[in-house]
Amino acid sequence: MVEHTVKSFDVELETLDRYIAEMGGIAEKMLADAMDALAGMNVELAQRVVSSDPRLDLLQRTVEEFAVHTIAKRQPLAVDLREIVGAIRISADLERVGDLAKNIAKRAALIAGEMRIPRSVVGLRSMHDVAATQLNDVLDAYAQRDPERAKSVWKRDAELDSLEDSVFRDLLTFMMEDPRNITFCTHLLFCSKNLERVGDHTTNIAETVVYIVTGESLPVERPRGLDSASTP
Amino acid sequence: MTNVVSSQQAPASLEKFPEKMTVRNLDFFYGDNRALKSVNVPLYANLATAFIGPSGCGKSTLLRVFNRMYDLYPGQRAAGEVLLDGENILDPGLDVNGLRARVGMVFQKPTPFPMSIYENIAFGVRLYEKLGKAEMDERVEKALRGAAIWGEVKDKLQASGLSLSGGQQQRLCIARTVAIQPEVILFDEPCSALDPISTAKVEELIDELRNEYTIAIVTHNMQQAVRVSQYTAFMYLGELVEFGDTDKVFTAPTERRTQDYITGRFG
Repeated sequence: MVEHTVKSFDVELETLDRYIAEMGGIAEKMLADAMDALAGMNVELAQRVVSSDPRLDLLQRTVEEFAVHTIAKRQPLAVDLREIVGAIRISADLERVGDLAKNIAKRAALIAGEMRIPRSVVGLRSMHDVAATQLNDVLDAYAQRDPERAKSVWKRDAELDSLEDSVFRDLLTFMMEDPRNITFCTHLLFCSKNLERVGDHTTNIAETVVYIVTGESLPVERPRGLDSASTP
Repeated sequence: MTNVVSSQQAPASLEKFPEKMTVRNLDFFYGDNRALKSVNVPLYANLATAFIGPSGCGKSTLLRVFNRMYDLYPGQRAAGEVLLDGENILDPGLDVNGLRARVGMVFQKPTPFPMSIYENIAFGVRLYEKLGKAEMDERVEKALRGAAIWGEVKDKLQASGLSLSGGQQQRLCIARTVAIQPEVILFDEPCSALDPISTAKVEELIDELRNEYTIAIVTHNMQQAVRVSQYTAFMYLGELVEFGDTDKVFTAPTERRTQDYITGRFG
């Protein structure tokens, strides 16, 4: 992109970009650590995840304030306007990803004392891996302003939806086998929902990347898993 | 507190507005200098079309063709077609005074005549129509009301037009244009010499005038173009680079040069 006549405007846009990159890094780390804490019954790691959330919240607020200030100062149009609006949206999505990771970590700390069915975490691990790859891809798509890459992330979200369905069925089976599993499995059920929500925020970010680069919006309806209607 | 400027909603379907003026393959020459190069652009009835572009891109030149202002200067000529309701206004046999009554113009700097507020309006009307005192009074009031300045001047119609503030003078000039009952009104940077409040009033006025007239406005203020127009034309070096829905041009223009210009990236 050609530089602005006003150089300081470029600096401002780059600053927003850096904030988003930092937020993305924190959100990815929180998600990975939350999953490790859950799988490894690691209370200390879970607490570290919880304690990194305020930094993410602060960054989101900073992005918002910075963006509002930039809009007031520069009255941006076209791609500049889309960049700034995009940064506001993406920061909100990443902040939510952090919240969801934090929630998984909190549950990990809660159930760490009673790992009842180790194999129940396997499905969640698969979900996490897909969600983490998707998040990583969409952050790359943003960094490279690559709408095609963003679109492919957007299309792949169905995979996460169907994984969630199978995790749901597994957990239901464990609960029916032994009512003492119910508390434990319910926590895992929420964790699976959280991972599925991470996927939703990832597709939001993908939509925003496409909007920033092309000015066009993706369809409201995105591809869904075949039987995702069976989950609550 | 209410905003002086209402939000400008573009009509849901722009297609149903007929073309009031149509520019076809228009070239314009200042002597040997070709200032407009094969310009094609429509002006839709009851909509405002904004012309933007860097200084010297030809947008004011284009506006001056719309009412044959250039006829006043030797060595300037236009080639191509500019249709007003299907009639080519570049036709040498055309009655230019009649054309200028149909296509009014408001300039960058307010240019009230050195006469009373009342006479500023009546003077032009008399050139085209013979009205009785009562009819003329009515016409003057209607024009001043139409230009949203009646309330400010109704008690001092005999005061000099030059005694008004800049913003009032500009609205007086708009009233003068409206009084002739034109069909098209051309605005050449009408707010560049006005303060923000006066600017807001003129912008509000342009949006109201759209109900009765076809509007073309040249402006260097991008935000103003977004606020007042439904269509935007971007010109560069005498060419029309992009023409389209204002919303689209300012959020996601198709041409790289348009984007570079409106985002301040021109090298």
